[in-house]
Amino acid sequence: MKTPMSASQPAPKDALTNESISLQVQLGRLKLKNPVLVASGTFGYAKEMAGLIDLPKLGGILPKTITHHARPGNAPWRTVETSAGLLNAIGLDNDGIDYFIENHWPYLKGTGADIIVSIAGKSHEDFIVLAERLSPLGLFAIELNVSCPNVSGGIDFGTDPVACHRVVSGVRNVIDCPIITKLTPNVTSIAEIAKAAHEAGTDAVTCINTVLGMAIDWRRQRPLLANTVGGLSGPAIKPIALRCVYQVASKVAVPIIGVGGIATIDDAMEFFVAGASAIQIGTANYYDPLVSIRLIEALPSAIRTLGASGLSEVIGTLKSPGSVAVKK
Amino acid sequence: MTHTFTCDRAANAVSFISTEILSHRLIARDTWQLTVSAPELARRTVPGQFFMVRLAQCNDPLIGRALALYDVSRNAVGERDAISVVYVVKGKFTQSLSRRSLGDKVEIWGPLGNPFSTLATDRLVLVAGGVGITPMLTLASAALGKESYGEPVAPSGYAKRVTLCYGARTAEYLAGLDQFEARGVDVRVATEDGSMGHRGRVTEVLEELLQQSNNSVRVACCGPEPMMEGVGKVAAKYGVPCEVSLETPMACGIGICFTCVAKIRQEDGEWDYRRTCLEGPVFPADKVVW
Repeated sequence: MKTPMSASQPAPKDALTNESISLQVQLGRLKLKNPVLVASGTFGYAKEMAGLIDLPKLGGILPKTITHHARPGNAPWRTVETSAGLLNAIGLDNDGIDYFIENHWPYLKGTGADIIVSIAGKSHEDFIVLAERLSPLGLFAIELNVSCPNVSGGIDFGTDPVACHRVVSGVRNVIDCPIITKLTPNVTSIAEIAKAAHEAGTDAVTCINTVLGMAIDWRRQRPLLANTVGGLSGPAIKPIALRCVYQVASKVAVPIIGVGGIATIDDAMEFFVAGASAIQIGTANYYDPLVSIRLIEALPSAIRTLGASGLSEVIGTLKSPGSVAVKK
Repeated sequence: MTHTFTCDRAANAVSFISTEILSHRLIARDTWQLTVSAPELARRTVPGQFFMVRLAQCNDPLIGRALALYDVSRNAVGERDAISVVYVVKGKFTQSLSRRSLGDKVEIWGPLGNPFSTLATDRLVLVAGGVGITPMLTLASAALGKESYGEPVAPSGYAKRVTLCYGARTAEYLAGLDQFEARGVDVRVATEDGSMGHRGRVTEVLEELLQQSNNSVRVACCGPEPMMEGVGKVAAKYGVPCEVSLETPMACGIGICFTCVAKIRQEDGEWDYRRTCLEGPVFPADKVVW
């Protein structure tokens, strides 16, 4: 027998309008105006995109990762397309922290967008020096790239929970802004690394950096990338990224920023349901440069589909698989 | 290493459009001319600039390809309203694209990159290898004052004479010869097998031409890297200014991925990896470290 509608039931979906849907999210000390960020290394230094996108509309911008000293990056070929994916070994091509502060930061600050500076170190000390140098700038937030697969030594901080804990707590001691730690999927247990970063005081973790891979030209019997191996991104890795977000969300109480193959509103919603509080758009910026703005505009309607009045009611709402037919 | 960051993209808006194929025809062996409706791009793009072209809503192939402006066409009332690009069928993307027909959608963004220079000269020599022919048709048209491009309109009629030195594997790979001749270009061909024109390299045709020339000459070149290096050397030998348009693979075309870097000589004499999409694709030949 059906029960009649009672007054205590939530307002019908029709009562919510797109305008009334809140897109604000809080991740630790990090407060985002909306949950759609653009991933480091896939948006240049933002200036390149200013002719295409109204930058302050984004939830946040992560410029290309900065290292202590200038790095020329790897020799070409630096990227190779694979099935529904892109393999890259750029090699953290950048002009170093001093150049960044002098030349990129004034522009970035002037955009009016919320800028999250991504840093990577070869050593523990590198991370600390970078954070110290950035501290006086009063950053919106900082992302620790402990997971770049294309730099010798770069990945250790993302695969060893002890080294990861030490870097995060070290950075926390020298900078006041919110800290995000970007994790690699190239580990046995990503939750274990997320837990270490969380205990060390990270405000959020980004899941995931690229998946280590390679591509070969068998006729020439050579790798296609000059670096031999590289990081895979794009729609091909979305299932891996979703799995990582889900595993971290199930085991660690740390806010998560999901990234990996997101290109449509359905992709975005899958990450929120899996447990991500925000997302980053990466490779899709390359082949669909307006994607981030389109997703921000599509979010309210998608949130209403679930009868929620704000994004926070959607995050981590994944249910168990439900009834499954069992063969006797 | 010097650290100059040059990017005026903020002042130079990129348009992103999803548009229909108006015409798609084979113009030489494995070589297609694709024409799409794109009034804004047709008005704004100048010779040497390029677009990123992608199959609409397609995840495999995923990434766009950089294709240079080949031609601009006008509608019945004389307004520039469509652009053409040319490509050779080689891999997964070009195979998929070649199967698309009239009315199918492609996504295009541009105009991208820096054009060839428009300095006055007695003779502009265009040197093309294979599909490197693409940027030469509009360049020849502008230089001879047959057509004007860009908004505001870029200089035109800056060369008294235009000669095209065009190299290909065999005669059947030569594209658009009649289009060049119709615009008043003096065409000289080299094929590897001698099936048309000079048998051998296009650099040999160029060298013969420069030997005989005593007026002011400039060279613009596009093709495979070894050929461009050779053309740069010949031009330097005769003291002739030479620009090359690099065909480095690109993933985004707009400066955000750092795929398309080439070794470019800086003011201090050292080289640095520079993004071809933003700082090129046209560079002075003597700035490129081959």
